[in-house]
Amino acid sequence: MVEIGDKVLGYATDPGIRNRGASGGMVTAILAAALERGLVDSVIVLRHINEYEAVPVITDDVDEVLASAGSMHTVPVNLAKYAAGRKVAMPGKPCDVRAVFEQAKRNEIDIDNTFIIGLNCGGTMHPVLTREMLVRMYEIDPEDVVGEKIDKGKLFFRTKDGEEKAIPIDDLEDAGYGRRESCRYCDVKIPVNADLACGNWGVIGELAGNATFCEVMNGKGVRLLENAIESGYVQIEPAGEQSIAIREKVNSAMLSLGEKWSARVFTEIPEEQRINYYMEQFADCIDCGACKEACPVCTCDEDSKCTMYHSLADDYKMSMYHMVRLLHLSDSCIGCGQCSDVCPVDIPVTSIFRRFADPAQKKHNYKAGMTLERPPFLEVMLK
Amino acid sequence: MADNREWEPKIVAFCCNWCSYGGADTAGMGRFQQPSSLRVIRVMCSGRIDPLHVFNAFLEGADAVLVTGCHIGDCHYVNGNYKTQVRHQFLEEMVKEMGLEPERLHLNWISASEGEKFANFVRDVTEQIKKIGPSPLKPEGVN
Amino acid sequence: MKEEIYQTFCPGCGVGCGLYIREDPEGNTSVDFMKSSPANLGKLCRFGMKVPYHYSKARTMVTGSKADIEDAIKAAAHRMADADSVTMLSVGNTTSEEHMAFCRIAETLGTRVDTGVFPLPSQITSKCGSYPEGISLDEMEKAKRIALFLDPYVQYPLIVRRLLAAKRNGAGIVAVGTKELHLADETLDIGPDRYDELGLDDKSLIVADIHPNSDPVHVKQLLDLAGRCGAKIHFMQPFINSTGVNLALKANGSMMALAQIMEDIEAGNIRTLVTLDSDPVELMPDAAAAVETLKKLDNLIVISSRASPVTELADVVIATEPVYMKAGTFMNVEGRLQENSGSGVAGIDAMSLLNGELGGKRFDYQQLHYIFMKSIGDPGTDVGDVTADKAEQMECGSVDVDNAGSSVPEGMYQLKYLYNPFMWFDQKDDNDFVLIDRKLVKKLGLKKGGMVVLGSENGKMKMRYRVENIPGGMIMTAKKIPVATGPNTIISLEGC
Ligand SMILES: Cc1cc2nc3c(=O)[nH]c(=O)nc-3n(C[C@H](O)[C@H](O)[C@H](O)COP(=O)(O)OP(=O)(O)OC[C@H]3O[C@@H](n4cnc5c(N)ncnc54)[C@H](O)[C@@H]3O)c2cc1C
Ligand code: SF4
Ligand code: SF4
Ligand code: SF4
Ligand code: SF4
Ligand code: FES
Repeated sequence: MVEIGDKVLGYATDPGIRNRGASGGMVTAILAAALERGLVDSVIVLRHINEYEAVPVITDDVDEVLASAGSMHTVPVNLAKYAAGRKVAMPGKPCDVRAVFEQAKRNEIDIDNTFIIGLNCGGTMHPVLTREMLVRMYEIDPEDVVGEKIDKGKLFFRTKDGEEKAIPIDDLEDAGYGRRESCRYCDVKIPVNADLACGNWGVIGELAGNATFCEVMNGKGVRLLENAIESGYVQIEPAGEQSIAIREKVNSAMLSLGEKWSARVFTEIPEEQRINYYMEQFADCIDCGACKEACPVCTCDEDSKCTMYHSLADDYKMSMYHMVRLLHLSDSCIGCGQCSDVCPVDIPVTSIFRRFADPAQKKHNYKAGMTLERPPFLEVMLK
Repeated sequence: MADNREWEPKIVAFCCNWCSYGGADTAGMGRFQQPSSLRVIRVMCSGRIDPLHVFNAFLEGADAVLVTGCHIGDCHYVNGNYKTQVRHQFLEEMVKEMGLEPERLHLNWISASEGEKFANFVRDVTEQIKKIGPSPLKPEGVN
Repeated sequence: MKEEIYQTFCPGCGVGCGLYIREDPEGNTSVDFMKSSPANLGKLCRFGMKVPYHYSKARTMVTGSKADIEDAIKAAAHRMADADSVTMLSVGNTTSEEHMAFCRIAETLGTRVDTGVFPLPSQITSKCGSYPEGISLDEMEKAKRIALFLDPYVQYPLIVRRLLAAKRNGAGIVAVGTKELHLADETLDIGPDRYDELGLDDKSLIVADIHPNSDPVHVKQLLDLAGRCGAKIHFMQPFINSTGVNLALKANGSMMALAQIMEDIEAGNIRTLVTLDSDPVELMPDAAAAVETLKKLDNLIVISSRASPVTELADVVIATEPVYMKAGTFMNVEGRLQENSGSGVAGIDAMSLLNGELGGKRFDYQQLHYIFMKSIGDPGTDVGDVTADKAEQMECGSVDVDNAGSSVPEGMYQLKYLYNPFMWFDQKDDNDFVLIDRKLVKKLGLKKGGMVVLGSENGKMKMRYRVENIPGGMIMTAKKIPVATGPNTIISLEGC
């Protein structure tokens, strides 16, 4: 009944889930069904701490899955590493999905046992900066916020007393708020590499806000969706042409906005200044190792080339740690922004890594994390 | 730079045991004049040279790094130099992105009998490096 | 397959970085980032990244053998009741509530709790300083000129980003007497007599730290400087709850320098010591000497959440749950009250039982929490008078004016400790080298990959070195080493 390539609109049959979900609770319902009917052993979802914070959990408890409904725009996590070594189902923004693929290429994740419900992603925001933005730009008490959404280029916040306030995202980002830098130039908005690609773009009419547009990408997607329908968790209907067209249109608009940002962030550094630029940026590094730990595509453990050949006693002009990583990540970096997020001295680690990875990946016509067909190009394949 | 004439660049050459090391040896024994700048590091096969060895050479003060091995097809471990070649592509790109001059990193295949080729190669590189000066990655206090 | 996730704070220093501890069913812990934590945005330094090492569990023991908790408490009570006087030490490595419980016990015994930091001069007021409340680290970003009396990269890495932000906002940064710092515009090797050259005014900020081995004279000099030029002063503090225990002082304790306590033990004036998550062996610059001193005690009773050298020496160890599991609050160096998500009250219950055994009242977490909030003047507890001039009211002893910075004999060098979380907790790290300057490398004829031999009255040892621009004649290290006899040690140095 479900086929690869299907584009449907769907929602959770349970009104409670449907209400709590970001747009119809379909994703939550599919995850719960997968767990309940034994398609997977566990599910990765976010446990909500408050309006701005959630933490990934690996759970086999259906209630925990149901409680996780809703999109957390201020939780810039990456879920890939939690999936390693398990038979799981997980939701995933494009960067989560891409990282899963990079892990799978390096045999850390068994892709056949990993069911991924992709979420379209316009970007995530930093929780602390978001609170600050609410105070400074929206003049709203962060504790009063009960919901947010992005619509027509504006970021809306709804407060307890039912009021809504919107500011164009461009204005927010010019003021240093809004989406994380990496999200602004992120170049995958619909996770076509996931098993199902879900999102609210293209959901129109009376379904707007309480259903999700879902594209079935592959056989695992078919199983996920059929399983959820059979168990009575979700209900679907085919997406109309208009829905499909709108989704496409918004996607390309977002992608071209991303390109603009890319041009803005990656201004050319003249060749003769580069080495000084990089040395200067890394000079504040305190060797915490967080950028490696947080990197969702890195599969090395504590003892790896970048750490073993690096010593605090060295007074090199650049650290071996960074030089080795810049090379090693050039075939796998997906630009997820995790490394910049966690850097305790605010080095723009992500943009630096992109400066190395982007030309290398472009040259090899290779986009990290999209398929398993292309092995890591740093691994020498012998014919 | 006036004192550049005095300055001898430091050049680190990784040579494989079976071919290019022999080449370096032949060059040394023959009448070919070898610049005093050269530091040869013998490895069993060019395939053993990890990019991190190249980085380390730069960070320790090399002004140029030469990666050398047997001619393609002649590697004593079948395909070590093929791996070297592939790696070199990435290394080259990285060096470029870092803003290190391309003259500072070279790959060359040299057989044991090609002493003259080795000597000329080193001399050429030395000349190029003398023109562009010391490496920006050279630690303070190292010549 | 159930995994526990705790919201907690890094026990490494007073910044109190928020983090998650994930505990798998086998009890293995790992760290996860808590990006919504305002003190650190989820960012962690090397110590925080490795914090699972820190949580090595203590075991309840009586005179060297494993015991169950009730027996240990009885044994402890017995020893404490029999002692003529009891000295109690809590530097701020655990929750405010546990600290309050410890204070209750002190009350029962008619004694007080020491924090191990020397008494602060009464001139630290809210006007010129931030101690003990702390200013928000955001404030640091707004200063116009900053004088640094510490090495932020090594000692308090999470303020590096604040200082860099200040710089982007136009601040000038001058580092005094440290190694050359990348973020500083200039590094000056000057003594207190020349501090006026720093060009500070009322829009400036002085950043220094106060810890058990601080030199009180120097702290006084900095306070004087701040007073003269009107600059604000911000003291970083080494322990997760240093600020909390300082605020709790008024009601419940005093500040006696750790060195003083150790001298008194040495002299036989102190015969019974009870510690709460405070290990003098780790805290004293000379670990071997501290061990010898502690052996002189009649009674050493250790209440601790983690195994450390002092738990090996103790007559009685009362083990409590790891800090991340505890119910409770910590106050960071900004004066931010942060609360653990854990619900562990084993430590508090043990101390309640101990207090009962000693003839005092039993207590529970809620009561202690209330008392703590009250003592820091939380409006919710309806006590208005405490916050006003806390600092003024602090009990002030005499300042020990024995200046440590005596001159260095010809041909000798000064070894200076760069205190950092790894050092305070004697945690495994790879800081196993000393910093020396280039001139010294030349003078000693050192070769790449070579070692130096450091010598003091404690003997000789070999160390690796790293070359840095540091004040002449100075050797620095961020690693605790046996040749050191104090925060500053006169040593000899040879190449090898
Ligand atoms: C950060 C973010 C940005 C998004 N941006 C867009 C967009 O621009 N356009 C669009 O069409 N759709 C976007 N989506 C997808 C959309 O918001 C809905 O998630 C989707 O339509 C599914 O709705 P639902 O009600 O079925 O999901 P729900 O049933 O509410 O399930 C949501 C699932 O997402 C997981 N989740 C929540 N937050 C995160 C997070 N930060 N990272 C990883 N997983 C998370 C939850 O654990 C839960 O499993 C975004 C989603 C997220 C998380
Ligand atoms: S990097 Fe891309 S996929 Fe990831 S959160 Fe940002 S916009 Fe979404
Ligand atoms: S290097 Fe940084 S941006 Fe790239 S994948 Fe790793 S964490 Fe993400
Ligand atoms: S996260 Fe930042 S400080 Fe830590 S190792 Fe990476 S670059 Fe250095
Ligand atoms: S040691 Fe201090 S700076 Fe480092 S992570 Fe812990 S609290 Fe933060
Ligand atoms: S043996 Fe010479 S390159 Fe392999």
